[in-house]
Amino acid sequence: MKTAIEIHGLGKSYGGKTALRNISITVREGSCFGLLGPNGAGKSTTMKILAGLLEFDAGTVKVLGADVRRSGDRIREKLGYVPQSITLYEKLSPLDNLTFFGEMYGVRGDELKKRMGEVLEQVGLADRAKDPIASFSGGMKRRINIAAALLHKPKLIIMDEPTVGIDPQSRNHIFEMIRALKREGVTVLYSTHYMEEVEALCDHLAIIDHGNVIAEGELNEVLDRFGTQAVYLELAEGEQPPALPGFGKPAAQGRGWLLETASPLEAITGWASACKERALSVKRLEVVRPSLETVFLALTGTTLRDS
Amino acid sequence: MWWTVARKEWKLLIKEKGVFFWLLGLPIAFIVLFGGIFSDNGRSSVEISYIDLDQSAASRAFVQAIEGAGGYRMTEAAEGEMADKIQQIRDGKEAVLLVIPRGFGQAVESADGSQASVAVYRDAAAESTAGPLLAVLENLANRYRDGKVKTALEATGLSEAWQEGVMAAPLRIDDRPENAASFSGITQYVPGYTVMFVFFIIISMIRRFIGDRDSGMVARLRSTTMKPVSYLAGMWVAYLVVALIQCAALLAFGHWVYGMTLGDVGAVAALVVTLALCGTGLGLALAMLVKSENQGMAYTQLLAFGGAVLGGLWFPSDLMPAAMRTIGHFTPQFWAQKAFQDIIVRGMHTADIWPSLLVLAAFALAGLAVALLRFKTFLKSALG
Repeated sequence: MKTAIEIHGLGKSYGGKTALRNISITVREGSCFGLLGPNGAGKSTTMKILAGLLEFDAGTVKVLGADVRRSGDRIREKLGYVPQSITLYEKLSPLDNLTFFGEMYGVRGDELKKRMGEVLEQVGLADRAKDPIASFSGGMKRRINIAAALLHKPKLIIMDEPTVGIDPQSRNHIFEMIRALKREGVTVLYSTHYMEEVEALCDHLAIIDHGNVIAEGELNEVLDRFGTQAVYLELAEGEQPPALPGFGKPAAQGRGWLLETASPLEAITGWASACKERALSVKRLEVVRPSLETVFLALTGTTLRDS
Repeated sequence: MWWTVARKEWKLLIKEKGVFFWLLGLPIAFIVLFGGIFSDNGRSSVEISYIDLDQSAASRAFVQAIEGAGGYRMTEAAEGEMADKIQQIRDGKEAVLLVIPRGFGQAVESADGSQASVAVYRDAAAESTAGPLLAVLENLANRYRDGKVKTALEATGLSEAWQEGVMAAPLRIDDRPENAASFSGITQYVPGYTVMFVFFIIISMIRRFIGDRDSGMVARLRSTTMKPVSYLAGMWVAYLVVALIQCAALLAFGHWVYGMTLGDVGAVAALVVTLALCGTGLGLALAMLVKSENQGMAYTQLLAFGGAVLGGLWFPSDLMPAAMRTIGHFTPQFWAQKAFQDIIVRGMHTADIWPSLLVLAAFALAGLAVALLRFKTFLKSALG
């Protein structure tokens, strides 16, 4: 399998402050790779280095098989970078903005017109192509912000928190766009605060904290390796969960209780028997898949949003 | 790529109505304001009240002689108004009152040596009105004396040639204006405000560069295939063209509305191009040097207003003290205004104004050099 991104021992400091200590990541071509971490973890710095915007102090970085230090121009032809901030000219229309960015990527004439039509359809804003960006909602602006990086049909797209502060409709559009890109074989590097986005979109992920990769791999592998399985039980109002000998105390969660355990099968059969014996009304009894939230909590000792 | 950047910038400028106000509306307003005041320079007349107590042919001829000197419109007041008029002068509401006393005509025409007199009541603070009037009256008094002397000479029976020799002034003033066209307020203010407001374009340039840097646009563009210097070149070309249009519009306004003669249009075009290069070159340099928009505004206003005063854009630099005139030579505005005056007032051509063009080009090159040297630092701050 070819790799789209290879980072080994990446280090970067700003004026004496270390942003990246020792980052090593490998991203397969055609995959969607999630970069997860709290603010200041080093996600944006890593992405800017990959996009050729920042120099780095240590390590090697290869993008689409080329060294970023030596082949920046060649890489830029095949790379689309969506920054964290909305970088559009708000007094201009999507058509004006896309014409500008398209030409900046070397796309011109009929080809550019065709691509603008396609990306505007993709982001669901073809009917607003001539309105000023200033009249758009935050989510619509973010969709155009992404569209501007797609005009030259890049092989790798770097998206730095593209869904911050947007409405569900825009989020769905962006998710659909990313899935479509994956189907076309485009590699997507996606950073976010939202674990559920990584779970919904990414095949692989890396969790970065304080400039280090603290977990990396396929989503299921990371969940299996670092997550704790659990059994969830929900009873009729007023009923209490039966205690299971040899297991810990269940924690209240939502309308029921969650019992973390390495033996979910034994726990679920134990709870089923105990509830039957005591004639308790079981509304839900299920094995819960480990979530990234719990993985992050286990690895860093804090929740992502708190950090 | 630079063309794409320039075209985008023009689209943005068209959407920003404030730019039109700063670059065209405000200078036109200034030209209209000062043009209205000074366009009739030399032909406007000051109203002077007078009371003729003598009511003789000689007193009426005296009043006509004052009007004939030019610049004054004489308005007669009645004898009974004298106290009121004097009080108005004391209150600063009127500048001058001329009173011709009774017996003026008799005294002027007498040959017994008696002296006629007129009284000039004046506001001490209205020197600009009273001063020239006193000079006119002094001149008239000399003419009366010459008349008396001539009459006395004629009575001696000496030859006419001898009389003329005696009457001829020992000093003759030979006024030879060397300019191709005449000077007026308009020839001062139209080029003056054109030069001044070219430098206001720096505000728009700084706003865009700082805005692009802080919004992340510069960083994003760096991730495209665009060469960084194309960004700088595109922005420069965009504002250079705007400055050219601005100069052309303001000079055309002066020409069509106030009838200002442009002189050698080729020379004006060469000057406008050099001036626009200078203004936008310095704009690029400042945009690369300043850390914030506010800092940029402060420096631009210092450059635009300071240069306007020292460069003689608001009034001829000949009126300034020698030290200020010397300092003014270090401003681009001085050389631009001098070149405009050389072409419009003195009828010069491109070959005659090359020192001014050279100085403006040097300022432009210095600005570009600073901008190129600082561009890497600007990019670094944008990407960090």
